[in-house]
Amino acid sequence: MERVRARDAEAFETLYDRYHRLVYGVAMRVLADVSAAEDVTQTVFLKIWSSPALFRDGNFGAWIARVARNRAVDLVRTRTLHGESEIPHSIPAEDALEETALARISGERVREALAQLPVEQREPIELGFFGGVTQEQIARSTGLPLGTVKTRIRTGLRRLRHALEGQVTV
Amino acid sequence: MRPHDELLDSVAAYALGVLPPEEAAEVQAHLQSCDSCREEYRYLQPAVTALAYSSEACADATAGAVTVSPLLKARLMKQVRAEAAARQPSRRVWPAYALAAACLALAIATGLADLSLSERLNRELTQSAMQRQTIADLAASTSQRYAFAGGEVVENAGRLYIAMTGLPAPPPGRVYQAWTLAKGAQRVAPSVTFVPSSGGVSIVRLPQSATDLAAVAVSVEPAGGSQQPTTKPIALVHLSS
Repeated sequence: MERVRARDAEAFETLYDRYHRLVYGVAMRVLADVSAAEDVTQTVFLKIWSSPALFRDGNFGAWIARVARNRAVDLVRTRTLHGESEIPHSIPAEDALEETALARISGERVREALAQLPVEQREPIELGFFGGVTQEQIARSTGLPLGTVKTRIRTGLRRLRHALEGQVTV
Repeated sequence: MRPHDELLDSVAAYALGVLPPEEAAEVQAHLQSCDSCREEYRYLQPAVTALAYSSEACADATAGAVTVSPLLKARLMKQVRAEAAARQPSRRVWPAYALAAACLALAIATGLADLSLSERLNRELTQSAMQRQTIADLAASTSQRYAFAGGEVVENAGRLYIAMTGLPAPPPGRVYQAWTLAKGAQRVAPSVTFVPSSGGVSIVRLPQSATDLAAVAVSVEPAGGSQQPTTKPIALVHLSS
């Protein structure tokens, strides 16, 4: 990132090669639209190129994944909720600083771990993250009290985190 | 004040990014002051990142896999490279010299006379300032440039440089010497002597002001320099007035 901050196009290309599948994959999952996912990928990387100071410190993969997800979710909301955006656009800097590093994260392993979760925990997590759906909307669609939805999200995330122990370095 | 378990649930919703802005701000502020909630957030955040990785596109197209069009990279890099080049115009004009200026300690010849100790100390002190000036002048878009085979004469605000690349080391006992022709003069006057770096790069600042000169030349001379050229110049550049 230091070299990208110095406007080094080669360093930027390396960054793109390493992270574009993550950004595109998240955008594609949220938007289910090749053209829109490409737009998000291009927007996210051009933003990093033009404003590299947005990323201050911490785990870059975690940061860019969140930026991509938020950008894609913003688009979904613009389409369906007339521009309403309830989610902060970028991850706060202090969050990035506190980010724990993920080591050798494997998409396949995460999918397996997700599949092991009870459906009542997996659904609100996936709906919330990839669906761009707020906790209130999840509660409305499931007919569950808001507190129950939040507890299920927390329990599911803890189980997922536990299942990934070997892939996480603290 | 809400029960703490409820706050921990909100921390999970915050990590997942499903809280409305006002509640997200509340949780964020709370994290600053509550160790146990911050610990919970740190624990859960990698799980949220892992969710993102679960949808990472594949490098190779396999049945049903999500892959990224290579055209996307081509479009993006075209724009990025254009912007990078526009930000650093000097690189395109002066690749060899810009590299030399950045990577090598510049040997800036300041004259032939033996220097006294105090003059040497003074020279040390001013050396770095001169190098900065040299780099700025070589890169400046306002500089006047006179190309010749193997290099350029660069003039900016009266300061004059001879910049050469691919310059072979002079024969043993020989050096390169710069010459200046003052406006209206019939004979050239001796200027600095120099030898190129091991990479064949030479950046020489001439002590004379460009505004007084009609031409600049370079020839190979015996070590110590000559009063008049003894060999045919390898470069001769006429300066516009």
